[in-house]
Amino acid sequence: MINLNKIISVTKNYSVPENIFDSYIVELENENPVHVPLNEANSDYQEILEWVALGNTITDNGGGE
Amino acid sequence: MALTTLPTAAFATGSVGTSQLADGAVTTEKLVADVNFRNLIINGDMTVSQRGTTQTGVTSTAYGEWCDRWNFDASSAGTWTLSQSSTVPTGQGFGYSLKYDCTTADASLGASDYVALRTLLEAQNLQQLKYGTSNAESLTLSFWVRSNKTGTYIVWFYADDGNRTISKAYTINSADTWEKKTITIDGDTAGTINNDNGIGFRVNFFLGAGSNYTSGTLASSWQTDSNSIRAAGQVNLADNTANEWYITGVQLEVGTSASDFEFLPYDVNLQRCKRYFQRIWMNRSDNNFWGPQRYFDANNVILGETWFSPEMRTQPSFSYTGTPIIKNNGGGVTGWTGITGGQLSNTRAEVQFIKTGHGLTNSNTLAANLSDSSTFFKYDAEL
Repeated sequence: MINLNKIISVTKNYSVPENIFDSYIVELENENPVHVPLNEANSDYQEILEWVALGNTITDNGGGE
Repeated sequence: MALTTLPTAAFATGSVGTSQLADGAVTTEKLVADVNFRNLIINGDMTVSQRGTTQTGVTSTAYGEWCDRWNFDASSAGTWTLSQSSTVPTGQGFGYSLKYDCTTADASLGASDYVALRTLLEAQNLQQLKYGTSNAESLTLSFWVRSNKTGTYIVWFYADDGNRTISKAYTINSADTWEKKTITIDGDTAGTINNDNGIGFRVNFFLGAGSNYTSGTLASSWQTDSNSIRAAGQVNLADNTANEWYITGVQLEVGTSASDFEFLPYDVNLQRCKRYFQRIWMNRSDNNFWGPQRYFDANNVILGETWFSPEMRTQPSFSYTGTPIIKNNGGGVTGWTGITGGQLSNTRAEVQFIKTGHGLTNSNTLAANLSDSSTFFKYDAEL
């Protein structure tokens, strides 16, 4: 379970090779990144929603891996 | 007239009916001893610790390298080492406890500061509590606890779906001595527990709480939640680095009395924990098989897959620890610029390894050297 206060950035992730936006990659302080599915039942996804509600922005670099 | 001795001869077939044994003559407490899965709490004997057995420097809410299903919950209330400890009450059958060891003290908690241990229970497993009806069931919590710091501690019960709260106090009477505590709470006739895979119930063991949580009157009966009624009277375990607190044998069961702790086989306990968290690793140091290779790009990405057993609660998050070494028809490769999840579902997930010019050749299978206790994939579907 990620901690809202440790989130550095959240980036959209596109599946390989389908190139479909299907998850987020969360960069955290002092931890390896966590890969979070787009599912409201996932507690990490809820943390991302809270993080966004605080005024933070999710990065979208586009797909095309 | 009550019988004081049993007849020595056997009862004849069909001789004991309702006239000899009235409905309700045998109480529930006499029947539950062998009922399986009466404990609503998973890993109450602290036997499973998939993530690891000790973690230092713990300051904020997290699951970590201690016992599965148990969540460190805190805000600015000292620094802690959490561990799966072999210190246990003598002669009770337990092999492990969960230990909180204060390593940086906070003798004066701010108003919003707190530290606690909690476990979150899945709502669909609690429908037998019949909350929100006149038949709502009482619950009894029992546990073994030990600390050098005596005094009043609070257990806070919270049912998310109805925003309902009840708290009960217990006392640690003797320093550094295992004590068994039992707490009973009424059923909540006005509460709600949805029939889904979300959080249905929280059991929170407060260990320290600022005035935001202690300034009201303790919620000794079910009521709408507010911060101030959760933890009135709680001592501050964070006030000294000499402080430590152990707990094991945690059982929450329907009824008004505590039965003996329900010991489950380790494999059953592990399977139940894996619904919420799975560690994928192999304790071999050679070319370990990990899973099928689903996609191969010679210059960039290799993608493999994992199937979960058991099915997880929901689509899990993916991360990893250590330095996975990946092989497929070639030498081991490290230095991956990205190791990420893909197509995460509650039954199956993929891991994609990204490294330009990785040098591996195409194959049907992937091997991952995840060969020690600190290198593994993590799939997290905790509540």
